[in-house]
Order: sequence, then C-alpha cells, then structure tokens
Amino acid sequence: MFEMWRERRREQQRNPAQRRYIRRFLPTMFAYVVILSAVTAYFRDHRPTGALLVLLSVLPALPLLGAIGVIGLYLGEERDEFVRHRLILAMIGGTGVLLAITTVWGFLEMNAVVPHFPTFLAFPLFCGAFGLIQCAMGVRDRMTGERP
Amino acid sequence: MTNRLRDLRGARGWSQQHLAEQLEVSRQSVNAIETGRYDPSLPLAFKIAELFGLAIEDIFVSPTREQ
Repeated sequence: MFEMWRERRREQQRNPAQRRYIRRFLPTMFAYVVILSAVTAYFRDHRPTGALLVLLSVLPALPLLGAIGVIGLYLGEERDEFVRHRLILAMIGGTGVLLAITTVWGFLEMNAVVPHFPTFLAFPLFCGAFGLIQCAMGVRDRMTGERP
Repeated sequence: MTNRLRDLRGARGWSQQHLAEQLEVSRQSVNAIETGRYDPSLPLAFKIAELFGLAIEDIFVSPTREQ
C-alpha cells in the first residue's frame, strides 16, 4: 500500500525540464499582468505620442514574446520523448485551431458579420487551444493507463 | 507497433512506474508504448531491449512481418 502511494507520488512529480518551464513561465505571466496594468493606467491619465506611444504600446507584448521563448526552451529541454511528442501534437493542434478560427473570423469580418478581431488575442487563443488539447491527451493517457 | 513489453514487464512483476524509472521516462511513455499508441525512438528501443537482455526484434514486432 505504502509502495503504491510512493509510486503514485513519484509519477505525479514533474521532471526537471517541466520544473524549469514553470519557474520561467510564471514570471512572464506576472510581468504581463503588471506591465499591462501599468500601461493601461498610464494611458488613462496621459496622452503619449511619438516614440513613447510606440514604446508603451509594445511593452505588454514583451512578456508574451518571453512566454513564447519559454515554451520553445521547454520543447528543446524536455528529455522524455513521448511527452515531447505529445507537446508537439498539442502545439500543432493549437496552431490549427488558431488558424481555423482566425480564417473563418476574417471572412466574416470582411462582410461585417462579426466585429474586428484584435490580433493580440491570437496568442491567448493559441494557449487556450494548446492547453485544452494537452489536457484531453493527459486525461486519455490516465484513463487508458494501468495504475501503479 | 505491436510489442511484448507488457508481458515482459508482467513476468518480472514490475509496475509501469517501476519500468519507467528504469528507463528514465514517464509512466505515460511506458503506457503509450505498451498500448501501441507510441513507437519509441531507436535509442529508447535499444534501452528497453538492453534492460530486458533481449534483442529489439524479440520485443517489438516488425510492422512488415505483422502484415
């Protein structure tokens, strides 16, 4: 019984690459929230122009670019080939969902059926689809797997 | 790819988690290989074969011979 519990604990532990991924990803999300809040607050009280406007506009995107880099690093560092394979499938699936939605939306938008799609939502949309696909694959693996 | 991994593991009384730790992969990897949902790379297939003291073809069935 104790051995079963220990095996389950060991199974649930994240591998070093996954721990590094979380350690890197969380600060980028924290930075995103802080920067976005600060920039939004600044725009509420000020009307920046020129280079400052460009700089402040691009600032919230930087942590998201960092997050993309973090995902790429994880992909390169993950040593478990099946986990990496599953990750790549989820990324392809996420990209497919993003392309499908934005393509259909674009044509609908062209004919004024739907409002304008802000392109900065593309990355969160990708992340959502990527995450859902990963969850679905994780559930499938748990349901078909033998318990320790 | 069909394989005998589950039988070989069962004969030794090992759990999937135990085998996964021997191979330095996740339990999900072992499960996916056993159920034929994932074909391991050549280095991992060699590692599995070496662990059981067998040749790769004694564990994994060649897809061309399967037909």
